[in-house]
Amino acid sequence: MNHLDYIIVFGFLALTFYVGSFFYRWIGSTDDFYVAGRKLTPFILAAVLTATNVNLYSFVGQAGIAYKHGISILWQTWTGNMALVFSGLFVLPILRRLRIKTIPEFLEMRYSKGVRTFVAVLWVFRLAFWLGVISYTAAIAAQPITGLHSFTAWILIFSVIAIIYTTLGGMWSVAFTDVMQFVFMMAGALVVLPLAMSQVGWWPQLVAQLPAESLTLVTQAGTYNWKFILAIFLLGIEWACVDQGLLQRAFGAENTKTVARGLVLAGIITTPFALLWNIPGLASRVLYPGLENADMAVPTLLANLLPNVVLGFVVCGLISSHLSTISGNLNGVATIFASDIYERVLNRKATDRDVLRIARIVTAITGIAMIVFAYLVPKLGGAVNAYLTIIAIMDMPLFVVAILYGLLWKRANWQGAIGGYAAGAVAGIIGTFWYELDFNTTTFISAGFALVFTPVISLLTSVPDPEKVHPIWSARRTSEEELRTNNVYHILPRTAPGRVSLSILVFGLLVFLVGVFLGSEGAAEASFIAVAGMILYFVGGLGRAYTN
Amino acid sequence: MYFDWITWSIWLIGLVILIVWIVVPLKEFKKLVAQHRKPHAEEQTPSA
Repeated sequence: MNHLDYIIVFGFLALTFYVGSFFYRWIGSTDDFYVAGRKLTPFILAAVLTATNVNLYSFVGQAGIAYKHGISILWQTWTGNMALVFSGLFVLPILRRLRIKTIPEFLEMRYSKGVRTFVAVLWVFRLAFWLGVISYTAAIAAQPITGLHSFTAWILIFSVIAIIYTTLGGMWSVAFTDVMQFVFMMAGALVVLPLAMSQVGWWPQLVAQLPAESLTLVTQAGTYNWKFILAIFLLGIEWACVDQGLLQRAFGAENTKTVARGLVLAGIITTPFALLWNIPGLASRVLYPGLENADMAVPTLLANLLPNVVLGFVVCGLISSHLSTISGNLNGVATIFASDIYERVLNRKATDRDVLRIARIVTAITGIAMIVFAYLVPKLGGAVNAYLTIIAIMDMPLFVVAILYGLLWKRANWQGAIGGYAAGAVAGIIGTFWYELDFNTTTFISAGFALVFTPVISLLTSVPDPEKVHPIWSARRTSEEELRTNNVYHILPRTAPGRVSLSILVFGLLVFLVGVFLGSEGAAEASFIAVAGMILYFVGGLGRAYTN
Repeated sequence: MYFDWITWSIWLIGLVILIVWIVVPLKEFKKLVAQHRKPHAEEQTPSA
């Protein structure tokens, strides 16, 4: 980067800081800080969700996998988008009606205070560690792109501004800087795609110079084959239903309709967006074959292809992708700690002002912990793999206990929830460390154990208090608030257009699954059928979100 | 001159998303600012 690029980058950082800090005056209560006063509209929510879910890992790590293994890695994002649509239409509207701020809060409502505290403590550490890992990878990736070879400089650039504006303006700052950062990310990606493709010789040359399997979406063999698509789809549903970083934004929606529309729109816009960062990974394989580290595929491409000034703007896009992710998750940690641990366990008599102060302090402390974790990552060895293992062990049982049994089976009780969660986690730990199973297999095993143990233990112990279960089941129906504000949303549609849309969605899902299973036999048409199914699924989802 | 319709189609979809996500959130943001200023304006109005 030259001095003009640095001026652009620092101008962008100053603008981000100004926009983020502006919302300090909008924070009057903890609701403003945690969930932006529950006033986010569909398009703002969609941009916020997309900006949070797309980070530097997407541009560098996923494009690196495309470089090494081919385009089938797209399904990591695409199935996640399908999961967003599912969660937005069927799960999150129920949780939004309960007016909760965190998943642990839902666990207390459904099961017990002990389950809430246990999960809240685990999530605080898990999110802080995740922030350290992504900050580390971002600081490593930024160095070759920009030529500024200082790990500390990049950690500070990425962290300090996000920590300050998130501490000051909470979710309001997160939301509006996310929208701005989404625009920068998208613009940066739009610059890179045609430049990379023109260097390769456009699409025909890309096809001619890459092996056929690199451009096959559903493959029979290889690391990212048809089985990977099914496993990652399941994990995507889990993520879209219980991830605090994601859910907290959805809880900021102005009503249940906005939740459904925001998530569906976020899923749909991220689908073509994913092509904008994965195709450059393929182009890099043609232009710079034989890179030892595949993660350097896009950084090498950017450093060699982009002229100065353009490079400055693209770097702003990359910084945006990272800032939006860390600011949202910092806010998530602060919310869980202040709402689930401080207010419920440490100081039950705390006023709203006390809790708000604690949330701000925790945001700042988590930011510092993130920086410390980022420095520890190289010393821990294989931290990213360790993190993925933690997800497989901890998150899948949580999904089973909180969403599957929590929302679908009245008889599940707190004993079953804790027992099922522990059984899933222990099975995952044994599978990983004793039998050395891979990440995908561990996911299925931990989910399977939680699926079996939760109902068995629940049936052997007491029946849950009907008064505790009643509000959860009532939230499936249209709420009084929706009727009063004329924003009625039915989980299962009542009108003909709504039912037709839902049918298209279900049909699309079946077509998608047929395509994936045809991939297991190496059928040539598998990719086309799977993509066609996914598009139908999105069309049905969009129609469903805008009908009743 | 060769026109790569695949690349430019993807690019065009991205451009449309970019434009929509500049225009619509800006409108929604203006509404939110107006809503936010309303109660403050009412607070500052002297009572009769």
